[in-house]
Amino acid sequence: MKIELEGLSKHISGTGDFITINKEKCNGCGLCVRICVVNLWGIRDGVAFIRDDYREKCLECGSCGQVCEPRAVNFSYPAGGTGVVYENG
Amino acid sequence: MNNYDIIIVGGGPGGSMAAKTAAESGLKTIFFERGRKPGEKNSSGCGLGPRMFRDFPDMMKELTPEKCPSMRAGVYARNYFVNKDDIVSAMILARPTESVTYEPAKSFITMNCYRSEFDPWIADLATNAGAELKCSILITNILKENGKVIGVIDEKGEKYQAPIVIGADGVISTVAKGSGLRDKWFHDHCTIVPQYDFVVPRENIDKIMGEETLGVWWGVNFPSAYQVFFGDGFHIGLGNWLHSWKKNPLYYLNRVVGLKHFQHLIKMLDAKPRELQAHLLPWMPYPEKTYTDHVMLIGDAGGFPCPLEAEGIYPAMVTGKIAAEVAAEAISEGDTSKTKLKEYEKRWQASSVGREFEAGPELWSVWKALPFSTEGNMEWFIPMVSEALTGIFDWSEPHTIRLRQVLAQVKKYLPKALPVLMQEFIPLLSKVLEDDLDKLMDPKILQNLMSAIPALLQLMPKKKKKRRGR
Repeated sequence: MKIELEGLSKHISGTGDFITINKEKCNGCGLCVRICVVNLWGIRDGVAFIRDDYREKCLECGSCGQVCEPRAVNFSYPAGGTGVVYENG
Repeated sequence: MNNYDIIIVGGGPGGSMAAKTAAESGLKTIFFERGRKPGEKNSSGCGLGPRMFRDFPDMMKELTPEKCPSMRAGVYARNYFVNKDDIVSAMILARPTESVTYEPAKSFITMNCYRSEFDPWIADLATNAGAELKCSILITNILKENGKVIGVIDEKGEKYQAPIVIGADGVISTVAKGSGLRDKWFHDHCTIVPQYDFVVPRENIDKIMGEETLGVWWGVNFPSAYQVFFGDGFHIGLGNWLHSWKKNPLYYLNRVVGLKHFQHLIKMLDAKPRELQAHLLPWMPYPEKTYTDHVMLIGDAGGFPCPLEAEGIYPAMVTGKIAAEVAAEAISEGDTSKTKLKEYEKRWQASSVGREFEAGPELWSVWKALPFSTEGNMEWFIPMVSEALTGIFDWSEPHTIRLRQVLAQVKKYLPKALPVLMQEFIPLLSKVLEDDLDKLMDPKILQNLMSAIPALLQLMPKKKKKRRGR
């Protein structure tokens, strides 16, 4: 079963960067890739990267930061009043 | 500098309850919400349990459909048992049983409403009581002086000062981190929960679902999923611990939505996907560290969701209220150290939430062993339950033969089932009934029990006797 995800979440712009990756610490395990519900992560040359448009797609669950064993991924929330909005949460 | 008696970080049900209680007891109270309004950052199954209506009656009677148009309560929960072939092999429609003691628990299992309506409603109660609410503000750090927590700092560097800070800031809690109470969750203490919201034409919900308000999809191929019906739609979601996923969490949720039976339900209801949501949810055997000097953690930030099913709104409200009451006492006594705030732990332990956690590790372990055991224990659990509960109602053979077939089939699952049942349910029962079990250990009773077992075994028929007439 595949549900078209486009249009299923609403975002307020102006978040700034709220996810950072320390490439030195990343061991390329790929747990962030597996856990992200909206598939924002990938591995390139053995190191995790996040899609450039993550600010408009991220659901702010914070899983990427929590699963990261070497603490390479740092998740903090976007600026107040910006980012994902749940109208029927 | 902005000075307050109490700072509450977070404007969810827990934060608002704390703010309301603090303001009512005369404290100069401020609470912060990172969304433009409370509730717009939150997604949850969102069923309000009857305990909330029992424990906060004056407040909850004010919750009306005018304020929360999505409100929908119902008496039935449908349990779908989905086997390894993704077929619904049995269903049980559950309702409050005869042992349920009070209203409204006899009349509904949950009152469902969207967080986008519920959270602003409860925040209004707090501001009406005199608490100041600041929205669209992210608190980014704890403010300290000589290592001592004295307030918080927002994203723009603005400082707020108070002798007590309450962390109501959810699963990724700045207050927990900044105060040293928790940096990260252990992997089997925190779950990730993806969830779809489906829109349904309002008239279809009652027409088709009747008094059903919840669905639970117990599966072999996915961690058990919950379905919650609102006035104009439903949520379908599931969760598991962060490291327990073999594939992307959405794969499993899509598998539920793709079930033939689920698709049939979607068609009947004329339901359409409206929103995709995801959140982390603490799921703890026990909330270990919930306070330190000048700081108390409530709700999700403290790890308070129920250890069996991880419902978190009621525990957030209970702990929020207790934390604010303790804060008021601590402030009036001029002692907000952890020695005084230990009172918070004592009181939540004595509350309904604490009672839940008395068998927290055992309840938590049951869930881990069964619904979260995708492609594990559910492989025998689902067919065993289906066989045992429904196998006899079948016309393929005379019922006398069917009963033997059912028993033989159930027996096949026992080598796998018994060790798990012993390991999970005996500790739970012995924890819950520990005082009573002490009495059972009376040698005389034990002796009677032991002598009864061989007698019972004797009753098992060795040979099938034929019965013809009288």
